[in-house]
Amino acid sequence: MARITCAALTKKYGDVVAVDALDLEIAHGEFMVLLGPSGCGKTTTLNMIAGLEEISAGRLSFDDAEVTWTPPHRREVAMVFQSYALYPNKTVRENIASPLPLRRQPAAAIDSAVAAAAAQLEITHLLDRRPNELSGGQRQRVALGRAIVRNPAVFLMDGPLSNLDATLRLSMRGLIKRLHQDLKSTFVYVTHDQAEAMTLADRIAVMRGGLIQQLDTPEGIYERPANLFVAGFLGSPPINLIEGVMAGGAFSRGGWRLALPNPPADGRSVTLGLRPEDVMVAAPGLARLDARVELVSPLGSETHLDVVAEGGLKLTLRVPKEWRAAVGDQIGFGIDPARLHLFDRASELRL
Amino acid sequence: MNRPLAPRVTRALLLTVFSALFVLYVAGPVAWLVSSSLQTEAQITEVPPNWLPPTPSIANFEAIFAASERVVTYENRRQGEALTSNFLPSGAANLLPAMRNSLVVGAWVAALNLLLSVTAAYAIAVIDFRGRRATLYVALATRVVPDIALVVPLFLVIRNLGLINSLGALVVTYLAITVPFTIFILISYFEGIPRDLYRAARIDGCGHGRALWHVYLPLSLPALVASLTFAFLTSWNEFVFALVLTQNVAAQTLPIIISGFIMDFTTSFSFVNAAGVIAIIPPVLMAVVFQRYIVSGLTAGAVKG
Repeated sequence: MARITCAALTKKYGDVVAVDALDLEIAHGEFMVLLGPSGCGKTTTLNMIAGLEEISAGRLSFDDAEVTWTPPHRREVAMVFQSYALYPNKTVRENIASPLPLRRQPAAAIDSAVAAAAAQLEITHLLDRRPNELSGGQRQRVALGRAIVRNPAVFLMDGPLSNLDATLRLSMRGLIKRLHQDLKSTFVYVTHDQAEAMTLADRIAVMRGGLIQQLDTPEGIYERPANLFVAGFLGSPPINLIEGVMAGGAFSRGGWRLALPNPPADGRSVTLGLRPEDVMVAAPGLARLDARVELVSPLGSETHLDVVAEGGLKLTLRVPKEWRAAVGDQIGFGIDPARLHLFDRASELRL
Repeated sequence: MNRPLAPRVTRALLLTVFSALFVLYVAGPVAWLVSSSLQTEAQITEVPPNWLPPTPSIANFEAIFAASERVVTYENRRQGEALTSNFLPSGAANLLPAMRNSLVVGAWVAALNLLLSVTAAYAIAVIDFRGRRATLYVALATRVVPDIALVVPLFLVIRNLGLINSLGALVVTYLAITVPFTIFILISYFEGIPRDLYRAARIDGCGHGRALWHVYLPLSLPALVASLTFAFLTSWNEFVFALVLTQNVAAQTLPIIISGFIMDFTTSFSFVNAAGVIAIIPPVLMAVVFQRYIVSGLTAGAVKG
């Protein structure tokens, strides 16, 4: 167990600032997910915590001990890589055991630790194979085994599921979550996949351009996005963003007006965020807005409709699977103003 | 599958013909060396030549081993007419000691070259330090200068070090030739090893020494073997520096001694050829032993490919 404290952590490559004075405190046993698009600095942050990247400025501590300049092999961290990074010349058994001999443990202890890790990951039957005889999912289990066998204070995972196919990703996600519940270690997990972030995290740090955009629980991030970037990054299909101005205490766009609770001052340029699921669809004429269906995407469990509403407004709506719509149909839908998100258009911040 | 027969036959024929020509070109001189070493002087010089020995004889090889057991002087050196073989060049007795010198120098060069190059290449390929590229370029730039231009300055350096006429002079000199190239070869090989393996090793508790030993060396076996062979062969074949830096038989290597057999008035081709066959035995053995290590695909399964 360890608490990780990043204080103004900075990484520069020449003039390029990859991570910009990042402040982040990760609690004992917390599952922290760093989420963001590629190039946002999430992997660089992870590598700095691991010790694989030199820290340009700032301070990193595990519990109360500063580790800013501690080399990786003295940090008591385990790491799982997107590419698995198994030693190809060693068997599965030797791969899993590889951190242990270097830590001067007796042979019997190594054997039982490897056996326990293999049993936990259900790869006991693979122990004498080599990595090139394994499937992707098996390789990633071996990589997890190499991490858990050390019983480390900190687990670092760099997009461990990104190379797996969709079904496997789902089951491995469950495995990692159970692992966290069993081990109660501190996990730091980097991903660009919002579903992984939402399902795994205790808290998510959404990053962009080397900065944390929002740090909150998954529910908090989804329901109260701090800015337009976070709102747009989470949600599938993505949130509808509608630009307009405030007039008479209501959101106004063309001829279309929508009264809001707690409206900001009149004249302000704002962007309205509407999640596709936050609508009530009805027959035309019965609801607040009418629209024409342009595209129907049935997913089985639900259906996504791309519609054009009054004033040429293009929206994506998520409707129950029972809703049978055809291209060209007219539908009506209602919006609950309490579920809307309002952002200042200039600062992009939530209002 | 059902392509017409004629183009396939033509293709096979062309491949065979050109392969045969290539083999002839590469192996021809070696074959003639071996063949002529088993012939007498008279048979070698016959026209048309005897491609295969008419009466194979190991007399030339016997002469080499006999030479080391008796002193060749001006009076007794002419055992027979040069044309009828059994002519021993003066200095024939130096052949086997020179071979020993060549082996000693080659072994030291191969070993030290690997030690120096592996550590240097690891540092340049893996560790991020200021001037890593410049280090490589400077090392390679030293090899742009033709060897012959370096002979005199090198001679002075070696003389001032007190190493003239010693095997150490050759080891030091040959390392200066082989190390830059070997670093270059190993860097590109090391850089082909997935970076995540290095990261994993560091996380697993390896410092740089262990990461090199446990990850990079096992996965670089083909490059290491190639480097070893390259360094040994460079040392084994080198002539110009050896000629200048060693002036007595105590430190002279095979190329110097063998070239000394070709004299102004008489040259025993049969004897020189037999010496040549002996000189190619160690490199050939080396190639046979090491070729099975030169395989690819060692990193299969390491990372998502």
